[in-house]
Amino acid sequence: MNGLAPAIEIRDLRKLYGSKAAVDGLSLTVPRGSFFGFLGPNGAGKSTTIRMLTGLIPPTSGSIELLGMPIPEQEIDIKKRIGLVPDESLLFDRLTGAEFLEFVGRMYGLARPVAKERASELLGLFELADQPRKLIAEYSKGMRKRVAMAASLIHRPELFLMDEPFEGVDAVGARLMKDILLDQVRHGATIFLTSHVLEVVERLCDRVAIINEGKIVREGTMQELRSASETLEDVFVRVVGAERAFERLDWL
Amino acid sequence: MIAAILRAQWLSMRSFRLDSRRRSAIFSIITALVWYGFWTVLAYLAEEFTASPAAGNLLLTGLPAGLMFVFLYWQLAPIVSASMGASLDLKKLLIYPVPHRELFVIEVLLRLTTCAEMLLVLGGSVTGLLRNPIYGGIRAAPRIIAPFLMFVFFNLLLSAGLRNLLERLLTHKRVREILMLALVISAALPQLYISSRTSMGAVRHLLTEAPGGFWPWTAVTRIALRQESFYSSLILVWWSVAALAFGRSQFERSLHYDAQATASPTAGLNGRTRSRLEAFYRLPALFLPDPLAAIVEKELRALSRTPRFRMVFIMGFSFGLLVWLPITFGGRGPGSTVVSDHYLTIVSVYALTLLGQVSYLNTFGFDRSAAQIYFSVPVSIAKSLVGKNIAAVLFILVEMLAVTLASLVLRIGIAPGKLAEAFAVTAIVGVYLLAIGNMASVHFPRAMNPERVSQGGAASRMQALIFVFYPIALLPVFLAFWAKYVFQSQLIFVLILCFAAALGMVVYWIAMESAVGAAVQRREKILMELSRSEGPVATE
Repeated sequence: MNGLAPAIEIRDLRKLYGSKAAVDGLSLTVPRGSFFGFLGPNGAGKSTTIRMLTGLIPPTSGSIELLGMPIPEQEIDIKKRIGLVPDESLLFDRLTGAEFLEFVGRMYGLARPVAKERASELLGLFELADQPRKLIAEYSKGMRKRVAMAASLIHRPELFLMDEPFEGVDAVGARLMKDILLDQVRHGATIFLTSHVLEVVERLCDRVAIINEGKIVREGTMQELRSASETLEDVFVRVVGAERAFERLDWL
Repeated sequence: MIAAILRAQWLSMRSFRLDSRRRSAIFSIITALVWYGFWTVLAYLAEEFTASPAAGNLLLTGLPAGLMFVFLYWQLAPIVSASMGASLDLKKLLIYPVPHRELFVIEVLLRLTTCAEMLLVLGGSVTGLLRNPIYGGIRAAPRIIAPFLMFVFFNLLLSAGLRNLLERLLTHKRVREILMLALVISAALPQLYISSRTSMGAVRHLLTEAPGGFWPWTAVTRIALRQESFYSSLILVWWSVAALAFGRSQFERSLHYDAQATASPTAGLNGRTRSRLEAFYRLPALFLPDPLAAIVEKELRALSRTPRFRMVFIMGFSFGLLVWLPITFGGRGPGSTVVSDHYLTIVSVYALTLLGQVSYLNTFGFDRSAAQIYFSVPVSIAKSLVGKNIAAVLFILVEMLAVTLASLVLRIGIAPGKLAEAFAVTAIVGVYLLAIGNMASVHFPRAMNPERVSQGGAASRMQALIFVFYPIALLPVFLAFWAKYVFQSQLIFVLILCFAAALGMVVYWIAMESAVGAAVQRREKILMELSRSEGPVATE
């Protein structure tokens, strides 16, 4: 519908829980084809923002457009074109990995044979094919993340929304996932991810926004944020106002 | 430490009460009032019975019989209803340096949650005895109250041990189904015995008038009624110590038990069984388009692998058959003819209502936080609900087939007309229950642990819903049966059933519209409820 529109366009987004603002007047533009890192300390509003982007929770005020389409007006059309890796598990424990991927593919409108074939290929790609009858309930945390990421890929989305996708994943798995994501960006997809691992963000992302107490406190390209003397971690710690509070606890 | 654990649980429950679950608390309060009201009336009757100086010899046989009932109810009711109440979530507590005996004390105290109604009955009995001048009145309070307290203590310890033993056994795949089957059969044995018209005298004598008061209930009676104190006290202490040893040893074994190592959900199926199941799972794709077929298939796969669902499914036809069989064919009165006329219908509707707790009444319950997938994929929530309803209907059909098959095996003659009636009535009740279930699933969602075969106690919200809504769902069918017997007309019965079916479809449609609207409005709360974890005490 609107090929030139940004992947994500957020205007004055607000989410109140009682009188407390989890997200407080957030405005953000994520260009298409970018690998966007969305950083912030715990409880800063990252997950709430992602949940609003996916339509899982409604905002109190403000507007969201994904791929040029407004939420919630064109929610179904948007959902067809995004891939989601949420922070909490969205896996059905009593299905095998293959069954789950096939289910997700069919929910995104793929014909059953296609969904089945892609599920099988994705399981192979994510190195989960060796125990086909193993239920997701028996998967390790890292394996669950891999299946979640595989599920987000099955319908070839244009925009990925990922909340801590590398959490609990071992080095080999993380490397594999990073390579796949970079390949997706090379093919024109947009990735919007949150992560606590700043080195990962530093290596993968071309644009970064830092959120603190529901507000964007810094945004720009990776080059703009970093300087010769400062790493992303230094910038992050400085802008979110972290201090060495533990030094005041003499018993610790 | 005990205080810290109980406080943590209190705080968990406080957020539960003040948060979005407030509305559902009203249902729980209504149910609790009616439920405990019923037991309060029984307690009052017990009090009147034991307070009567004229009861005399009747008390000598009545009191031990009543106490034996309390014992059986306390120990068996939580098992039979698959509702073992609150228990310590050991996984959350074992990491702390809490002495095991302190954990055990909490576990024992939590057994009070399963049978608070029995405390009411015992309280009534004690109050009556204290008012009865024959047994010493209020001045005899220590002699009367002490054995009753000991009896409560004994029951608490035994139920703690039994619970831990069962919880462990039930984590074994297959074992849990067999064990549950054995338990429900044993629970139905008294009924089978009564219906077999065998003389009860010998059994009654053995259980309530055993020489020397061997049983705890006879020992309590002998002390409280001033028959004999010393040996009876020894017997009561012996039973209590034995229960303590049993309860403590079972608790210790549970502490060191690795459930995951013993329960492999994928193990055990041979190739042929697997391919048959696969054909069953793929069935929806033959007559439904995607995404509906995908949702139904997912439900069939997931539910059939969920221990808790399997347990209730098995209970649906096994326990249902056993409970209704003696009533139907063992009775003597005209009422039993009515029941035996509609035996298959009654068992089928019973199975349908039982399945509700683990399927259509809380349709996102087993999905827990994964339910967010239904809100994040490009499929309307209406389709998701319809898909889940179709899966529930398929399971109900299989359940009915199992009931029919079991009836045939037991050589219960089923006329084709009765079979048709059973299917028609179950389908009509099912439509109403699905309508209610869709509303309940979005207004009162609750995360359910698929591994736990037990569920919440009498005050749980699901039971509140069942209590309020089942009579409503059954009303149109009751009316049809009432009209059939009043007017002696099969035609009127069929016409009312047809009307009830048509009305049911309208109700279903309206409920679906409402549920979809509520799901969109309440999605945040729904997902929050389904992602909620509990405090140190698992009350689910």
